[in-house]
Amino acid sequence: MANSSPLKMSRALQRRENIAGYLFMLPSLIFFIGFVVIPMVICIGYGFTDANMNSKTAATTFVGLRNFIDLWQDTTFLLALKNTFLIVVVSVPTVCLFSLWVGSAIYHLKGPVLSAFRCIFYLPVVTGSVAVTVVWKWMYDNYTGILNYVLKGAGLIEENINFLGDERFALWCIILILFTTSVGQPIVLYVSALGNVDTTLIEAAQVDGANDIQVFWKVKWPQMMPTTLYILVITTINSFQCFALIQLLTQGGSGTNTVMYYIYYTAFKLTEQRGHFGYANAMGVVLAIFIGILSAIQFKLAKEK
Amino acid sequence: MKLGAKRTTPYRVVSIIVLVILALLFLFPLYWIVTGSMKPVTEILNPEPSFFPKEFTMNNFDRLFAKRTAPLWELAVPFSSQFSASHRPTYFSVGPTVPAAFRWLINTVFMAVAAMIITCITASMAGYALAKKRFRGRGILFSLIVCAMALPKQVILIPLIKEISALFMWDNLWAVIVPTVGWPFGVFLMKQFSESVPGEILEAARIDGASEWFTFYNVVTPMIKPGIGALAIFTFINSWNDYFLQLIMLGSGSNYTISLGIATLQSETSIDLGILMAGAALAAIPIIIVFLIFQKYFTQGITMGAVKG
Amino acid sequence: MKVKKLLAGALAVAMSLSLAACGGGGDAASSKPAASTPAASQPAASTPAAPADDVADAITVWVYPVGGWGDEAKVKPLIDKFTADTGIKVSMEWLAYADGDDKVNSALTGNNAPDVIMEGPERLVANWGVNGHMVDLADMIDATDRQEILPAALAAGTSTDGKVYLYPMFNVAHCMAVNYTAVKEAGAEANINLDTRTWTVEQFDATVKALHDKFGGTVAAVFCGGQGGDQGTRELIRNRYGTKLTNAEHTAYTWNTPEVINALTDLKNMPGIQFDASLQGGDEIAKFYQGVLKMAFCWNAAQQLDPNSAGTGEGKTLTGDEIVYMCFPTQEGKNPEEGSGVWGLGAFDTGDAARIAAAKQFIKYMCDSENCSQAGDISNFFSCRSMAEGVEIKSSNPLLVEYYGKMMPYMGEYYQITNGWAGARTEWWNMLQRVGAGDDIAATVAKYEANANAAAAG
Repeated sequence: MANSSPLKMSRALQRRENIAGYLFMLPSLIFFIGFVVIPMVICIGYGFTDANMNSKTAATTFVGLRNFIDLWQDTTFLLALKNTFLIVVVSVPTVCLFSLWVGSAIYHLKGPVLSAFRCIFYLPVVTGSVAVTVVWKWMYDNYTGILNYVLKGAGLIEENINFLGDERFALWCIILILFTTSVGQPIVLYVSALGNVDTTLIEAAQVDGANDIQVFWKVKWPQMMPTTLYILVITTINSFQCFALIQLLTQGGSGTNTVMYYIYYTAFKLTEQRGHFGYANAMGVVLAIFIGILSAIQFKLAKEK
Repeated sequence: MKLGAKRTTPYRVVSIIVLVILALLFLFPLYWIVTGSMKPVTEILNPEPSFFPKEFTMNNFDRLFAKRTAPLWELAVPFSSQFSASHRPTYFSVGPTVPAAFRWLINTVFMAVAAMIITCITASMAGYALAKKRFRGRGILFSLIVCAMALPKQVILIPLIKEISALFMWDNLWAVIVPTVGWPFGVFLMKQFSESVPGEILEAARIDGASEWFTFYNVVTPMIKPGIGALAIFTFINSWNDYFLQLIMLGSGSNYTISLGIATLQSETSIDLGILMAGAALAAIPIIIVFLIFQKYFTQGITMGAVKG
Repeated sequence: MKVKKLLAGALAVAMSLSLAACGGGGDAASSKPAASTPAASQPAASTPAAPADDVADAITVWVYPVGGWGDEAKVKPLIDKFTADTGIKVSMEWLAYADGDDKVNSALTGNNAPDVIMEGPERLVANWGVNGHMVDLADMIDATDRQEILPAALAAGTSTDGKVYLYPMFNVAHCMAVNYTAVKEAGAEANINLDTRTWTVEQFDATVKALHDKFGGTVAAVFCGGQGGDQGTRELIRNRYGTKLTNAEHTAYTWNTPEVINALTDLKNMPGIQFDASLQGGDEIAKFYQGVLKMAFCWNAAQQLDPNSAGTGEGKTLTGDEIVYMCFPTQEGKNPEEGSGVWGLGAFDTGDAARIAAAKQFIKYMCDSENCSQAGDISNFFSCRSMAEGVEIKSSNPLLVEYYGKMMPYMGEYYQITNGWAGARTEWWNMLQRVGAGDDIAATVAKYEANANAAAAG
């Protein structure tokens, strides 16, 4: 990176930059290396062993790639992997599109109305994941939930739907909760990005006879690209944080298992399975690789734009 | 002066109606928590729900408060674990014994505020260095940070527990704070902000003989203040909501956070929706009030993050 | 280049030093003989009693919500009494069944286990005990104790190699319950024999049908949202055609049998019975207590005394309906086998003699002293021993006495100590979910039994 710097720095200056740079990085690096990088390295190491909780009675040995090979034959893991990506693939675009639509529908409203809308859509974020989960669990309830009551009252369904107990619905119910807790920030972002669009360009386009839709896609959309990319990044991060929903609503049952929950499950519930720590860590490594690739693609896109 | 901003088209009317309906739906869970916490249990459990409580009661809160108790705050005697036969620190209870839910709230605020302050300091320094210091290895570090940003903490679950335990931090709020600070999103965000600091100003400060720290503290920090605000909000909410870390790191009831406390109330043999809703209300309402007061800064801060980002 | 390496090196050294410093400090602390730290008993000096020098002055006790032991207000007086008598401070934590195992296992991962834990042999013996995390309590049980403690309970607390990992405190037979008021409204009370509390499969089916005809919807749920309360579904299913789920040696699972498959098929096809993957045992009890479900399969004496731990009166639902506890239905002429529940205390091997000594003192106090009676009363279950240190242990509560007479003779063997139990029970509720989702029952049962046996094999 230093080589790409336009001005050729003198040796002394480079030295100064190095020292200053690392000193400024130091506090952050202690935490980052100490509590993210080192555990990650240990995690990779564990992934090649049959480590387990019962190290007093069962020794840990190196098993090579066995955990990784087993993973590809583990139907539970493959289903969890599929669900994890389904969540990301569904929730990221819908959150982006929905917040773009809401943003464009409210950004020109008067101040208090605008902030009222912004606040309301942001509320599920601040309510807290556990409080939100607890109330949704009650709303989804098979026997006394309000959703069934309303749907039945409206004549849309005949029998109560077991939202969280039926594998046709459970994962979508979880995605819906995730959705409501994800759109707040993107809406705020789009509102301000739309407010900052260069109006002279819009006027020029309208003089040229462009309609609203053309103005939007040809003029506003390109200017909002950096915001969109940022939203993509935070929404992706958010989609991987659905652990609380799974743990508190279905415990991975009804076809809602994700890799994040399955890691936890393997580590602390399947304690009798031989080498369960190693297996859980191997899963972590696989997930980390996938996420790394995903992040790399996103940033490659960001750089090109 | 935006053209067409005031035009009323059928599309606009329809979209506003749809928006109002959506807004009501988004408000509903919160409304359901608040009203649910004030309904008598018989009403909560009625298969035909009442949209507005027929009868208001504080009984759910009473039962929540009676369920568990904890001292208001505890202070560990420094190094006391070295001298105690049980190898645990000696704690002094500060304040009276209160319903555990209050203690959980205090814990949560302490945790979120501490994580927020430390992250703001470390991340703004690191972000500035990554943006403005051409030190060697900067590219690799930045790539590492970007890759680690989306990493769910479940991946490093086992090593993290072992490490935190080895550092004698397990079952301590710091065990939750420290990994939160380590999460590199803040550094990324602050790097994006610091990019906007003009290089000429830094150069001028350097020529004037200002020290590196002086430049950072007196020149850079004022310019990235909005960014620090954004990061503060982001970290606060994130730490408040990070149920997973709290779940694996906190062992004793007096160290629980409010989220963990509510989650634990769902035990096998006595699920009491009234208590749960009271707990959820207690968890949600303080932070919502804070949010409404600082709403302007919230939205400003969030926006700042992206426009630069 | 050099500077970079230097800095990186310095960073690495600094990191490892700070880690080592903390680690080193801890090692020194834990290897220090407890007797050489007289400062330890200082805080306790003001209390009338003080622990002996080689006994820690504070312990941590984690309890699962075993009957009334889940209620802080009920337990606290006894704990305070213990502290007053011994000078050992106790910090109590209450675990939930939903995630208590995870909590203990994550604590064990970082060597943060509590000193004492209250739960059943399925965890204390079969899981943590045989894997070397628990202290052998055999030295606490002398010949007199062996006479006084219920042999089945003591056997359940003992591992195959004779180590006692659980000091038995109380036991109960898990049964089921019906909403008797609703049954009477449906005109099906003839099926329920209040004297014997036993019934046949035909009577049970007729009751379900009557309730379904009268109230519609779901009469009873085969809950499978998790492992919580899974003994209820196990006993319901295995009693239907009378079979056992494990072999006699408790080394393998034997639930891939026509009896189990037929029972599942019957239940799956029975209107009014729903396989519900959104409920665990606790949810089921709550729904039964609300009057939504008319039967509960996750029931016992403590539930009967205080349904849903809600404090709204013995044997009554929220709306005041009468609850009647019943045995699980069996084929005509066959005796039911109710689920066996045994609970007690165990001590984790924290590697610290002083703490283990304090933990044993706590266990002795609760399980083998005149306080044993009070400890049992808190639970709403039945004490595992007739006498303790010369004091007779007996429950005086009439409901408990009646329950004891009617249900305890039918208590089945304690098979939850079969190898790989934690994995097997996971397979069980997953199997029920698949059956509920409509998969082929025979194939599903075969598959999940095989998984469970794989877990048993280790």
